[in-house]
Amino acid sequence: MAFLERRQKTSFEGGGLVLFRDVQEAMKGERVLRGADYSVKLVAPPPEMRKGCDLALEVDLVEKLGIERTFRDKDVDYVEVIPLKVKTSELLDIVKVTDFGRWVMVKAGNMKLTFDKNDGAIVNTSGGGCPDIPNLHAEMVGKTLAEAPRPWDIGYSLCALMLDRALEESLNIWNGGERR
Amino acid sequence: MLLAGTVPSDDLPLVVDEARIENGSIIAGGHRISCIQGSGAMMSTALIVAEFLKLPPPRIVVAGDKGHGRGSRSIYEYLIESLAGLAVETVTLHYCLPDIVRMKRLCESVAKRSGRPVMIADAGFMYAAKAAGMASQFDIFTPDASELAFLADPEATHPAYISRHLFDTGVADFPALIASAYRQNSAARLLLVKGAVDYVACDGGIVATVCEPDLPALEAIGGTGDTITGLVSALVDAGMELREAAVMAFKTNRLAGALARANPATKIWEVISRFPEVLEEHFSSCVRA
Repeated sequence: MAFLERRQKTSFEGGGLVLFRDVQEAMKGERVLRGADYSVKLVAPPPEMRKGCDLALEVDLVEKLGIERTFRDKDVDYVEVIPLKVKTSELLDIVKVTDFGRWVMVKAGNMKLTFDKNDGAIVNTSGGGCPDIPNLHAEMVGKTLAEAPRPWDIGYSLCALMLDRALEESLNIWNGGERR
Repeated sequence: MLLAGTVPSDDLPLVVDEARIENGSIIAGGHRISCIQGSGAMMSTALIVAEFLKLPPPRIVVAGDKGHGRGSRSIYEYLIESLAGLAVETVTLHYCLPDIVRMKRLCESVAKRSGRPVMIADAGFMYAAKAAGMASQFDIFTPDASELAFLADPEATHPAYISRHLFDTGVADFPALIASAYRQNSAARLLLVKGAVDYVACDGGIVATVCEPDLPALEAIGGTGDTITGLVSALVDAGMELREAAVMAFKTNRLAGALARANPATKIWEVISRFPEVLEEHFSSCVRA
């Protein structure tokens, strides 16, 4: 059935927007589509549709049918796929690293994660203002980078999404990878 | 003083009650609430300062919410229903799921009061106030660097969407971001901007800066912005002029961090527990002078 498999994408046309009821479902939708080799981008919904903490997916509109089928198959609860008529706001994608000697602080957007260079233990998380952030603080601090739960998995908000990026970059540094 | 915000719990219902601190926890409505990063840190700070200053016990409006938004909505709805009739002079709004529609209704409720309280917002409530175009209804916002960039960005409805150039401007040029936030009516009357140098801005102009003691580690410690919100809330409620309270909040936070020998692994309660010592020193030196 190889001929039915999606071809590897080489470009991203965009033009379509998938709307969700909440950030957590949008994060799940992104993971499912990436897993199925679709090109997607996390963006803000149009201004008139924003409630306060919102996330949408920009997709290639020509792939609407396949995307909807994938969501049905994987139980992703989306609202609809619509044509994109205005320019979207992209998520902030900047990571900054501060070396405190024994500790490293990684800042992704408005969220910060600090870990101990000796054992990879997360010693603090800071920033943010959504209600899942204190919970993530309680769940992550004291655990190593590898043991800690992913904000992507247990968070609900855009702040959690940013904290997940900080964790990902911290893991990259801890594992000796190149900084972005 | 009324302090409102969510805490990370699955089973804490909406609690509205006078609160007190006991063995490092907040006690209200028969519940014990942890003083960790977020509204727990803000409320415990305000409670400790209020007790030190012998103010009436603050009332808290708190609900469990790990991010799904149910606790946030119950707090919004309580405030929308009750704020018009509550006898409070200071209202501090903190962690919640930002909700533009409910924030507008909340501001309408405040407008119905005969006497307007000092309105303070930080975290999710501040995001909602800005995104709803209601920032000018507030007296105090307490943003950090990225939240200031959010206030300065005319398009952003959440700090995760701020423009790259504004984020890069961040620490390098707080004054430019502060001016931009005021130009767009996205700032409260007073801004307390936490950073390597703390800025107090009022009605568009910078009125004070605080940079000593220099403690870069404070940025890494979860809750050091929450404590500033709690400090300024209690000091304002005690009758201190807003700008004076802002400067004292910044100084107290830094001095407590120094007493706690803050490093990036320090936990916020280690800083909060030092506030009485700092305030004692401040007020006794005032008496000596």
